[in-house]
Amino acid sequence: MTEAVLQISDLSAGYGQEQVLSQVSLTLHQGEVLCVAGESGSGKSTLLQVICGNHLPVSDADRAGRASFLRIESGSVRFQGEELTVTSPSQRRKRMGTQIGLIPQNPAGSFNPVRRLDAQFRETLKSHGIAYDRGEIVRVFDSIGLSEPEKLLRCRPYELSGGMNQRIAVAFAMLLAPTLLLCDEVTSALDVTTAITVIDELLKLKRERNMTMLFVTHHLGIAREIADRIAIMHRGRIVEEGPAKELLAHPSHEYTGKLLRDVPRMAEM
Amino acid sequence: MRRQLKLRILLAAAAAGILLFTVIFAGVIAPNDPYATNALAIRKAPCAAYPFGTDNLGRCVFSRVLFGGRTTIAATFFLVLLSFLAGTFIGMICGYCGGWADRLLMRIADILLSFPQMVVAIAVAGILNGGMKGAMIALGITMWVSFARLARSHTLSIRQEAYISSAILAGKSGLSIICTHVFPNLLAPLFTNALTQIGTTMIGLSGLSFLGLGVIPPTAEWGSMISEARAYIQIAPWAVIAPSLVTILTIVVFNYLGDLVMEYREAL
Amino acid sequence: MNQALSAGREGRSDNSGRILRWVKKPIGLILILIVLSFLVFALLYLAPGDPAEKRLTSQGVAVTKEVLDAERERLGLFRPFLVRYGEWLLGVFRGDLGVSFKDDLPVTPKLMTGLLKTVILASASLLLSLTVSFPLAVLAAWKKDRIPDHAVRLLSFFGNSLPNFLISVLLMYLLCIRIRVFPVIATGSLQGLFMPVVSLAIPMTGRFIRQMRAEFLAQLSEDYVGGMRMRGVKERFLILNVIRNSLGHILTIIALQIGTLMGGSVVIENIFRWPGIGKLVMDSVTARDYPVIMGFVLIMGTIYVVVNQLADAGFHALDPRGQA
Repeated sequence: MTEAVLQISDLSAGYGQEQVLSQVSLTLHQGEVLCVAGESGSGKSTLLQVICGNHLPVSDADRAGRASFLRIESGSVRFQGEELTVTSPSQRRKRMGTQIGLIPQNPAGSFNPVRRLDAQFRETLKSHGIAYDRGEIVRVFDSIGLSEPEKLLRCRPYELSGGMNQRIAVAFAMLLAPTLLLCDEVTSALDVTTAITVIDELLKLKRERNMTMLFVTHHLGIAREIADRIAIMHRGRIVEEGPAKELLAHPSHEYTGKLLRDVPRMAEM
Repeated sequence: MRRQLKLRILLAAAAAGILLFTVIFAGVIAPNDPYATNALAIRKAPCAAYPFGTDNLGRCVFSRVLFGGRTTIAATFFLVLLSFLAGTFIGMICGYCGGWADRLLMRIADILLSFPQMVVAIAVAGILNGGMKGAMIALGITMWVSFARLARSHTLSIRQEAYISSAILAGKSGLSIICTHVFPNLLAPLFTNALTQIGTTMIGLSGLSFLGLGVIPPTAEWGSMISEARAYIQIAPWAVIAPSLVTILTIVVFNYLGDLVMEYREAL
Repeated sequence: MNQALSAGREGRSDNSGRILRWVKKPIGLILILIVLSFLVFALLYLAPGDPAEKRLTSQGVAVTKEVLDAERERLGLFRPFLVRYGEWLLGVFRGDLGVSFKDDLPVTPKLMTGLLKTVILASASLLLSLTVSFPLAVLAAWKKDRIPDHAVRLLSFFGNSLPNFLISVLLMYLLCIRIRVFPVIATGSLQGLFMPVVSLAIPMTGRFIRQMRAEFLAQLSEDYVGGMRMRGVKERFLILNVIRNSLGHILTIIALQIGTLMGGSVVIENIFRWPGIGKLVMDSVTARDYPVIMGFVLIMGTIYVVVNQLADAGFHALDPRGQA
């Protein structure tokens, strides 16, 4: 087997006195899609925060902006052999985007609302030493079904709908081509049709680029569509993990069964 | 963190208290009569008899600074208090009653704020030519607005509270609700605003006095003392430096206190 | 797909709201200016005595009943208040602010000469103040609660607590008397401009730093900052975005400070004998020359109101969100 892209072992973390993750272990291999499912508050978002390195303050202004800090108690998170729990902000800056990409829960909020999209693309690409090629962006927009790409590039995010912004985030992921793509509740803010389109686009990314992905969702329907493996998270622990088909067909933990019953099937929606 | 802030507030308040105390008891502390001229001691350098020296007319600068503080600080406090009362009253009525009176008064407030405050103050004080009273009217024209706006917005949010509707249902009159429920809840934010206004008001008032639009000589007042003594600053710098330093000190103390209290309230 | 695009742009394609805004704004502006002119005209009536009496006393003529009545007749004071206001307002529209009580010369050219000098002084200090405060505010916000922030905030606090007349007096004492680098009285020269400009700029810089720092901090806590970090955008582009998004509010902050600058320049011009409009108005206050004072308030008020309206328009151009 190839070297693991992401290797989380015995990770415990929390905010202040409160422990949110306890002894989480997960492994992700190249080209694999892992879905971490669980209710809100189960700790899955915190897991993403740790991988994104949000336990490190980026600047002093950032330090002041946050009320309580993400704190890692024990364990390790290795990304391609590199330890993420102890990296510096500048290493993190270089890694985010091109090595670890994130499609946040609310992509509209992750863009500067009043700056033209082309400027935002240019800044992001230049930050990673990638040449700004408008033609390339237009091709990417076309490939994920964003019509009138030139016109769109002159728009500002506040003028676009939530679904549009979500696709722009996907476009960013395609242009930066990260080794590992993290997706935080990508479809929760979308209506059903848009959600299906976005899932299709992500599936295409997986097929065409062999991208490794970590999905975090409370929606097992999505897990069924896209995941190779599924990990069920409950109260900060991984209670069950296995290949998607098996796990969904024969849930061994009672919590998984409950999650499955609660979530309507994607096809029925 | 909070305890440290509290301690700093107490220290700043103590400094402000000492300033007020000195000024109130100026009559006891002052070594000389602030208005007594002395032809034999004109522009004398600081010495035992005259701690801050004497001015052009041989008056004791130290005593004049003490008595001048009385004028400056009393006028500032009076003006802030008056704006506080008028603004709070107007703001509460606007916020509680709403309707045309609210719209009219807030429209007036908008218009007043759309003119440059100091320009209006200089013109009004210049035309009134009424000494300190004129200067206070000139500044007061626009000062009440910030209190009124603050009081109005807080009244509006207090009105939404459940205990107000239950008081109305209990048959209490508007006036009694304003007195018992609205006003006590407004005091903290408005008091903070008043504190932060003290420094600005003092700058404004002493600025007008400096221009000759405030007190009428020979009344001691810091701004006018600085203005008078400026003419002979080369010969007797102490006559300028002393009132300048106390002005700075007073404004710094009150501004600092205001900032701290604001920070304290924001941290709540 | 196209639906999503057009739905998102609804605010943009609906032009009627926008046009309404562009019509409403100037009308509001004109209304405010008319109120201003009315208040200014009413100022004359606030003063003790009537205009005829003021005019005569200002010229040093002995006031007797006969002289006074003749003067009143000549000035048309027996006509109704509103008629006189209307006539005065018509004159104002033609650029005629009346004649000076002191020397019977038209007020407008006097004020314009002074205004030009004041604009030179004010814009120089505004420029100085902005070049100092802007980078310092960025630094303080970026290094919040660290040593640079504390240092900048301390400076800003003291700047904010110093009345500008005090700064100029202390500067005079230090630079002209102690070190003798500058002349005490400002002539039109560049060297003479230095001290008044610095005296005006110091308190303004303190206020600018305070307000701009708050604005930068507000921007730094916006979601997009975190989003950009997650995309690995370099900090220098991040600062650029934060600054760009703050510009609208900074424009408003500057426009509001111009009001304080106008008041401050009256004080400073009188200290340094700078022949601007503020010096002129204080001379007129001493001489009880009311038409000049009225003209001063009208001109300064108009500039302030117009500048603030422009800043508001600029704000909406820079941040088109929330615009109907």
